[in-house]
Amino acid sequence: MEEIKKAQEVYKSIKIPSKLESCVKEAISNKTKKYYSFRGLKYAMSTVACTFVAFIFFVNVNPSFAQQMYDIPVIGDIAKVFTVKEYHENDDLKLINAKIPAIQNTGNTDLEQRINYEIMTKMNDALKEAEDRAAEYKDAVIATGGEEKDYVPVNIQVDYEIKYSVDDIISFVIYKSETLASAYTETFFYNIDIETGKNLNLKDLLGENYKDIVNEAIYNEIEERSKDSGNSYFTADEGGFAGITDEFQDFYINSSGKIVIVFPKYAIAPGYMGVQEFEIDEQIF
Amino acid sequence: MQDITNRLIEFIEENQDKLYRIAFSYVKNEDLALDIVQESIEKALRNIKTLKHEEYVKTWFYRILINESLGCIRRNKNAILCQVEDLKDDIEWNDNITIEGIDLYNNIGKLKEKLRTVIILRFFEDLKIEEIARITKTSPNTVKSRLYKGLEELKKLIKM
Repeated sequence: MEEIKKAQEVYKSIKIPSKLESCVKEAISNKTKKYYSFRGLKYAMSTVACTFVAFIFFVNVNPSFAQQMYDIPVIGDIAKVFTVKEYHENDDLKLINAKIPAIQNTGNTDLEQRINYEIMTKMNDALKEAEDRAAEYKDAVIATGGEEKDYVPVNIQVDYEIKYSVDDIISFVIYKSETLASAYTETFFYNIDIETGKNLNLKDLLGENYKDIVNEAIYNEIEERSKDSGNSYFTADEGGFAGITDEFQDFYINSSGKIVIVFPKYAIAPGYMGVQEFEIDEQIF
Repeated sequence: MQDITNRLIEFIEENQDKLYRIAFSYVKNEDLALDIVQESIEKALRNIKTLKHEEYVKTWFYRILINESLGCIRRNKNAILCQVEDLKDDIEWNDNITIEGIDLYNNIGKLKEKLRTVIILRFFEDLKIEEIARITKTSPNTVKSRLYKGLEELKKLIKM
């Protein structure tokens, strides 16, 4: 077929973006970021900081999941209020290594139950979703001509990082990543005031003016970072940063006691820019 | 092991334009295509130990790239379907580009995944039938019959 040559001419003329080289270099140098976020996150994930105070007991969590977990020791001061459950599962579809944090001994049992239940349910759902995706991926491998033996089980990891823990305030982040398709990673943020039992939001920490403070800081920083031609952000038309919508915006508190606003990969910038973090220069603690 | 890794990196660096064009031909979107290339490289480097023979670096990597591309299409089904097939910002215009060429290129995107893959690899990337068979994990005869079928369907689509 002669016409196919004409299509090949089109193919050969596909523009190569200037970013390609840095993209490739970055991937090779394997600067695998601490966490990714999954593509649909903007739409799919409602904010973690929901403040429903429900009196729910652990028995509601999938019992088989709960039974297979065991405690691992946490070292240092934080151990007083922080405990980690470890969970493993391994079959031909997936390999799960999960370290799921929980809080304890805070003297506020309502808070503990609420937060721990929320974490457990979220992780339960997230692992279930990951498993479904793994099954889908396996089907896809076979559908595209692969054989069952070529399928490498999806590696699902859940881990956490304590960002700040001074007095009654604890800020931690839970990362869930699937290493076969790293685009599917979710991040959950917790900023808790142990004494009042409140999930802290931006309004609590920055006051009524929180939107202005945060937006101004982010706009300035985006402008600053954009001066480097290697950085690019979506414009407002392309779905880029257009101001935060509410006080439940994802954030954590860093070790210097400042708020760090986090946007997942793809949320306000192209994927190669990775996760975007903005420190707000207000000493809150 | 280190040799195979070096060989893979060398292959990727030398062929990055091709890798991008393949990914782009599946998703028709610059950002998604860049992501596919990046994810494929990271995935390949993570799984390099499963590659036993150095001479298969090329076909092995192409397979990962194509699986990533197809996975990306599935994840972004709605976004990709909605998108108009207007390539004006995506190609370097030159005298060899014809309306028929663009039409045909776009129509290849409408083929079923299996047929699209063999057409892209055979006619755009000039790969050998044996190489395509290794990439798609099928036999050379299957590749030939898919090529034939793909071309038949394209003829039908162009006539429409």
